[in-house]
Amino acid sequence: MENAIEVDGLVKKYGDFEAVRGISFRVRKSEIFAFLGPNGAGKTTTVHVLTTLLKPTSGRAIVAGHDVVREPNEVRRKIGIVFQDPSIDSELTAYENMYIHGRIYGLTGRELKEKIERLLKFVELWDFKDKQVKTFSGGMQRRLEIARSLLHEPQILFLDEPTIGLDPQTRAHIWDYIRAMKEEHDMTVFLTTHYMEEAEQLADRIAIMDHGKIIAEGTAEELKRLIGNDVVYLRLEAPEEVKCLKADFIRGCKLLPDGRVRLDVENATEALPRIFELASKSGIKILEATYHRPTLNDVFLHLTGREIRDEADERGAMKARMKRRMRAFGRR
Amino acid sequence: MRVFTTMVYRELKRFSHSRARVLGSIINPLIWLIFFGKGWAGVFDNPMAAPIFGGVDYMTYLVPGIVAMTVFNMSFMQGITIIWDKQFGFLKEILVAPASRTEAILGRITGGAIMALIQGVIILTLSFALADLKVSGVLPAFGLGFIVGIAIAAMGVAIALRMTSMEGFQMVIMMIMLPMTFLSGAFYPIRTMPEWMQWLAKINPLTYAVDGSRYYLAGVAPTFGITTDWLVLTALAAVLVGVAAFEFRRATIE
Repeated sequence: MENAIEVDGLVKKYGDFEAVRGISFRVRKSEIFAFLGPNGAGKTTTVHVLTTLLKPTSGRAIVAGHDVVREPNEVRRKIGIVFQDPSIDSELTAYENMYIHGRIYGLTGRELKEKIERLLKFVELWDFKDKQVKTFSGGMQRRLEIARSLLHEPQILFLDEPTIGLDPQTRAHIWDYIRAMKEEHDMTVFLTTHYMEEAEQLADRIAIMDHGKIIAEGTAEELKRLIGNDVVYLRLEAPEEVKCLKADFIRGCKLLPDGRVRLDVENATEALPRIFELASKSGIKILEATYHRPTLNDVFLHLTGREIRDEADERGAMKARMKRRMRAFGRR
Repeated sequence: MRVFTTMVYRELKRFSHSRARVLGSIINPLIWLIFFGKGWAGVFDNPMAAPIFGGVDYMTYLVPGIVAMTVFNMSFMQGITIIWDKQFGFLKEILVAPASRTEAILGRITGGAIMALIQGVIILTLSFALADLKVSGVLPAFGLGFIVGIAIAAMGVAIALRMTSMEGFQMVIMMIMLPMTFLSGAFYPIRTMPEWMQWLAKINPLTYAVDGSRYYLAGVAPTFGITTDWLVLTALAAVLVGVAAFEFRRATIE
């Protein structure tokens, strides 16, 4: 088996709404593959189809060599998942959560006990094993969920927004665990995220998703090459009249919806003086100029005219917090 | 069997962790027994009223009803809390596992019934100090209580699986638990109710639980016959477990 996941023409509709609009991609064995995109792009829906929780409207998905519709139980045996929303039992202790999960997956006795101990030590929760999960911080809960998902040694691990709503430090910590466990277990990891850094830090290959479609795919470097080497953003006095600057050293130029002009250049430090020269010669007034190496956000902006951050960051974090709060309230 | 026992284990663990729930579930029936029971006992304990209550004193009449009510309320609560599992992700855990869903839901229901039964036993044990109960009837009452627990926990599960949000939660409890309790004959005989109420009482499964429980524990002649009580409750349990299992097999996260 060459590929861990093969998806062809996958469509998922909810009534009239098309959440996933015909996507195809391959995830190679033992790689970390990331779906990057804003909330509502269809990432979670895709994960739910691949993990047999939802039936696709049309299209085909093969996970770990088995069709998700025809052989869901075969797929289930070979995958692990960390859901976007917390899914641990906060009334129970960390150990009990692990124990119940292990038994549901057919582990028993000594083997189960040893695995629980090893994994809880791996995520540094062994000292808290007999504490109820509701006393855990968001990061601790996440770590427990990761440990739990590894208990039955899945071939493919799905992580749906693994660090949503966590502070930057905790996020970096979780990344370390993901890298370490991938090394140790040699698994394939399928990750969804709306954090560019997360995709960049972790993933071997990235698919950028927007409005139910994959709009670009490749390594982070390949994706950035879609733009060029450096990006210069200019704020002009009259952007509508000027629209673009033309010169042989400017590879690409685009007027953005927010009024800025984006220039793709080979080397921004050399290009900037020439841009100012060109501008003053043409009578264009530059109010502000910034430049940086392209990020995945620039790629997304280039492809869609919007930033991933626009809608995603705050709302996502808020939603996660609300869920956690509701959970604490509901279980009382 | 593995998934079944795991789910039973989970219910027991969850319950044992929540001291407030254990305490609350015991205090509520005790309040009924002591304040409601002792309050009315002064009115009803006279030769004129005795025949209405099957020839026993009012506390002895009331205790089996409260025990049945406890098992009923607790198993319903245990069943309906599956809505939390739905809301907070544990259900997804089960759905994504290579496990038999029927076994999982049967385990959930059985765990709930066992919890409810344990609380019924606690109330019953305390009640021996308050009323003149038959020790010989405890074991059969226990069996009947288990059937009631299974049926009502399954009912709770079936209802919760149909609910899409937590908003209806309080209303369901009010609309189902309170009327069923009052219409069960736990507090007063069915025979003296207005006719339309008697009719409702007869389609209320809890009525048969109270009837049987009162026969075993207080020696009051059953209104419907003890065989009928068993048959009705067993049939109900079978149907409701079937419905719950059917719904759970079809459950998705959409």
